[in-house]
Amino acid sequence: MLQYIAPATGLLFTLENILWINIGVFVGAVFAAIPGLSVILCVILFLPVTYTMTAIPGMMFLLGIYCAGGYGGSVSAILINTPGTPHAAATMLDGHPLSQQGRTKAALKIALYASTFGGIFSALMLLFLGPQVAKVAAQLGTAEYFMVCVFGLTIIAGVSGKSIIRGLVSACLGLLISCVGTDPMTSYDRFTFGIPRLYLGLDLAVCLIGLFALVEILAKVEKKRGDLHMDTRKIKDDGKITRQEYKRMARPVLMSSIIGVLVGIIPGTGASEASWFSYNTAKNLSKHPEEFGHGSVEGIAAAESANNAVTGATLIPLLTLGIPGDGTVAIMLSALMINGLNPGLSLFTTDGDIMYAIMLGLILVNLFMFLQGKFLTSLFAKVVSIPQEILTPIIVIFCFAGAYSVNENYFDVAVALVFGVLAWVLRKLDLPPVPILLGLVLGRMTETNFRRALLISNGDPSIFVQSIYCKIFLALIIVAVAAIIRGKLKEQKAAKAAASQ
Amino acid sequence: MKQWVDRLYARMDALGERLGEKQLRIPVDLTAGIVFFLFAVVILLVMPNQVVVSDKDAVDGRAFPTLLMVVMMLCCAMLVGKELYKLATKRPMNWKDIHLQTELKALVILAILVVSYLLARVTDLFVVGALVCSLGFLVYFRCRKPSYYAITLTLAVAIWAAFRFVLNVDF
Repeated sequence: MLQYIAPATGLLFTLENILWINIGVFVGAVFAAIPGLSVILCVILFLPVTYTMTAIPGMMFLLGIYCAGGYGGSVSAILINTPGTPHAAATMLDGHPLSQQGRTKAALKIALYASTFGGIFSALMLLFLGPQVAKVAAQLGTAEYFMVCVFGLTIIAGVSGKSIIRGLVSACLGLLISCVGTDPMTSYDRFTFGIPRLYLGLDLAVCLIGLFALVEILAKVEKKRGDLHMDTRKIKDDGKITRQEYKRMARPVLMSSIIGVLVGIIPGTGASEASWFSYNTAKNLSKHPEEFGHGSVEGIAAAESANNAVTGATLIPLLTLGIPGDGTVAIMLSALMINGLNPGLSLFTTDGDIMYAIMLGLILVNLFMFLQGKFLTSLFAKVVSIPQEILTPIIVIFCFAGAYSVNENYFDVAVALVFGVLAWVLRKLDLPPVPILLGLVLGRMTETNFRRALLISNGDPSIFVQSIYCKIFLALIIVAVAAIIRGKLKEQKAAKAAASQ
Repeated sequence: MKQWVDRLYARMDALGERLGEKQLRIPVDLTAGIVFFLFAVVILLVMPNQVVVSDKDAVDGRAFPTLLMVVMMLCCAMLVGKELYKLATKRPMNWKDIHLQTELKALVILAILVVSYLLARVTDLFVVGALVCSLGFLVYFRCRKPSYYAITLTLAVAIWAAFRFVLNVDF
């Protein structure tokens, strides 16, 4: 590991990288602060921009958006009692009450400090755990890799919608869409329906612009957002945090960071689960549980450190196994692969300098997030007040420009529009879009490993249950499916009980 | 002009009010199950035409899509079976309300998107599509503030310029 640190540092500390980190952090914080705009939408909109960049600045820009998104959501949660992102909901419980007590700046400061700590802790975990997990991943063969893909897809299909069956239908649809274009093993065309442009396949960024961005524009008709007026004059208190409060925050911050990392490593779970779990744990272990919900500094610190501690942890399965921890990092996988960087041990050896530059860059991203948060929070709050009359067409223009710029033709814009309509129909049928995203990202890897494994075994499917790793993954799939079904049944029971009451 | 716009808005409000009362109820799981079961059947039927294979291939290009469609059909069958069981045992099925007013508004937004795309494609000038798109949404949101028009149109041109001159996208 140490031999890569020096060259990685040289690659990382360039003006270009620092610039893209800061642009990413600013854009991510602003997007996350605006209720209704998500971090995933932001990453999708700016993914085509990274196609013109090399791996390190491209990843730095996307990681900047991803990490700052964790903090940005808390700005609107604290100021206007509306979480900018779903995972900031737990922060809102104590952040807004503290703001109402005239301590807005203090609440924002606690959120920023805790987010930065969680983010850096997570980045360090990635730096130390990533190469170890990659060594295990290097022992996996094609059959094992297929099982890993099935494991990732099953969990995400299970947790991203109301029903695991509907999630699996979505995942199959995503995997099928990834089959469009040239066969990866024989180079024959598949599902091109006589359209010459489809020989190249469907670009991930174009599909995602339709599935996640344009559909949000169509959904504007369902929810009209009122104008958000963030009173930045509120941020005029001295923001002082007492020594006693720092002491009280230390334990929940550390514990929540550990929880965030553990939750983040598991595919399908994310920042929301981590922040709620940490918030409840901090409340249960606190000496002042009565303060929770009324402006507790521990509550804000626990929720914020957990949701940012997820950021580095989700990259561990992504960079080692190619399994994205959540939807946002799934998109980053394509940014890596477009630069010829494929997940696995080679990423930490052959391309070690680039990989370590990216992992060290994550620490840098968190430091710049801290600096921007310290000096620009008032500006984030002002940008949030952009009326939707202006915001909506701007997002559409970004979508169209992004889709066009991928291959510089209007066919891709049409594809994005078709995917937007498809996503609208899927939404009406209650089918979740995230498994489609995973299917699109993992499609080629899943199919190639499936077919290679069958070629090795002369078509005998028992190869998928023969090795010890295959058996472990099969057991994990069964346990995960059982746990998901149990959870859904519990939810249904609770809903029924609530309805009967 | 102002009167004409007010009259148009009043007419649209009246239409919206009428449509607001109308809604469709669909059994969502049953519909999703049937639609995607049929989709999987269609894909399996077109597979021989759409996926060329060679006799030499031990595992050909149809193997994986076929597996996917079989899994999709099984999942759909489970969805449909579950709903039919509920119907037989007279338990409540999963229903979803589709509001016609909402769908009509979505169609208007889709029309703005399609017109913007077509204009950009026909004129081969992205900026034309971007300007029409901005105007379309401002009118859709019934914006009456001239400053909003000025800001949005300026931003539309700025985005085009950023992609054209900074990122060197040729449009």
